[in-house]
Amino acid sequence: MTPLAPVASDGLAALHAAAAAARLTVSSSACWPETDADGEPAALAGFIESNFSPLLAEVAGRALRRRGEPQPSAAVTAVVMVTALGDVTSATRVAAAVDSGARVSPLMFFQSVPNAVAGYLAARWHLTGPVACVSGTSAGLDMAALLIDDADADEALVVRVDLAVTGGGDRAAAILVTGPADRERP
Amino acid sequence: MVVTGAAAASAYGRGTEALLAGVLSGRPAFAPVRRFDVGARRVRFAATMPGSPELLTEVTRAAGEACDDASLSPSDRARSPLFLAIHGDPAIARAPRDDQPGLGPEPFTTAVAGGCGLAEQGVRCYMSACVSASTAIADAAAMIARGHADRVVVAGGYLVDSDQFALFDAGRVLADDGQVRPFSAGRRGLLLGDGVGAVVVESRESARARRAPPVARIAGWGRTGDAYHPCQPHPEGHGLARAVTAALQRAGIAAEDLGYINAHGSGTGQSDPAEASALRLALGDAAQAVPVSSTKSLHGQTLEASGVLELIVTLLAARKGMLPVNAGFLGADDRCRLNLVLDEALAATPEFAMSLNAAFGGANTALVIGLP
Repeated sequence: MTPLAPVASDGLAALHAAAAAARLTVSSSACWPETDADGEPAALAGFIESNFSPLLAEVAGRALRRRGEPQPSAAVTAVVMVTALGDVTSATRVAAAVDSGARVSPLMFFQSVPNAVAGYLAARWHLTGPVACVSGTSAGLDMAALLIDDADADEALVVRVDLAVTGGGDRAAAILVTGPADRERP
Repeated sequence: MVVTGAAAASAYGRGTEALLAGVLSGRPAFAPVRRFDVGARRVRFAATMPGSPELLTEVTRAAGEACDDASLSPSDRARSPLFLAIHGDPAIARAPRDDQPGLGPEPFTTAVAGGCGLAEQGVRCYMSACVSASTAIADAAAMIARGHADRVVVAGGYLVDSDQFALFDAGRVLADDGQVRPFSAGRRGLLLGDGVGAVVVESRESARARRAPPVARIAGWGRTGDAYHPCQPHPEGHGLARAVTAALQRAGIAAEDLGYINAHGSGTGQSDPAEASALRLALGDAAQAVPVSSTKSLHGQTLEASGVLELIVTLLAARKGMLPVNAGFLGADDRCRLNLVLDEALAATPEFAMSLNAAFGGANTALVIGLP
């Protein structure tokens, strides 16, 4: 049996670099594609037509399953999403439907903001911290550090999704971070 | 942390004076939509400014006016980062694929910053639905409190558009009777509204050094998640209650010290009882005493801009000593019993007031302002 070749991930490297710059400790991480076996992400019930939410859920789930120790029951985990363009596939489909007079699916309403898949993740993994979506990797990790520093979260799951717009494949990466080991509790 | 400048635009017109006069009039700004074709929609109402204003122009104008209101010099502006709350660049959905990578939220935010002389380094765009702007304000306050920044300009904007209107209509959450009736029996949903707002948030020392008089303090903030459902709030408002508690603790005040709450109050079936429950959980008996209204019943649901527009309404009302009415009320819903401001604006001078927001994903924010 041939081992699956790992795929280099610029997105994951950028998350690690931004985490280091923000003085955060990385508990676990994951990316998509991770090996040659990562073709299409598994469908996510209730989310249609776009890979944005299924990819986000897949990489986040991988990172959460890989955490070194079980999540302490009282730990508060923030969900911080990072995306340069958002769910551009869904936005384009909705615009096309509006312009052609076609029916807009109610499911498209529920996935019209990145918060919806964050809510799915939060419910699935019991993540009770703040939910946010920002535009850049550094901003996402800086925000994670601030939420931990400010005691609104003990740890943060930062997930970046970039849908392929002009070629190449969809890409995603996730990182679970806590404050620095020497951090003083407020 | 203090607010030293504010600017706004809404269906009531441009400027904070128009916004305050509009909400204190008690007359909701909803009317049939003329900006785009709503012939195929179930609901045809929204609260819009005349014509088809452009988001980039409106947000840049508001951010610049907030800087003017705060008397920021060109060099002050050049050192102040911009946090912008928007859904995204409105052009991206209809752009050729090759052009889409250049139409992300970050270039849009940088263009707004450049357009009003703010720092292009450190810009940040929030796209967290209806808690975008309130989260940005909480982050700005937290950064300043921890010495990571002296000043941040926070702006937000949403202008009613055909795509979001179609999505909300398809989701059957728009009020088909043309009125938003938060916490009321017979409420039938939300209506969208144009909203643009900007505030200058800075440290008290920074304001004092510039001899800029504060218009309000950002006294406390809380941000939490429900961990319950992709798009429904926790039915008992557990997450929102924790946000309210965190905001009160940061402000160092008791529930009884709150003199007004501008509620999230979307006017939908599930969200309003969850919010009333959250207030009972977090505030105890004070939940039945503190005056509450949702100004979404007047200016509409302004999505990503809600947090900043509603904070501005809250601080303007507190400074004026007049609390806006919770419009559209038909009768009590036992699940939503609160001390609602009904019939007409209420004369009161709250020392502390709270603005609440909630969003898809179970995201919740609470902001406490104090008069300086």
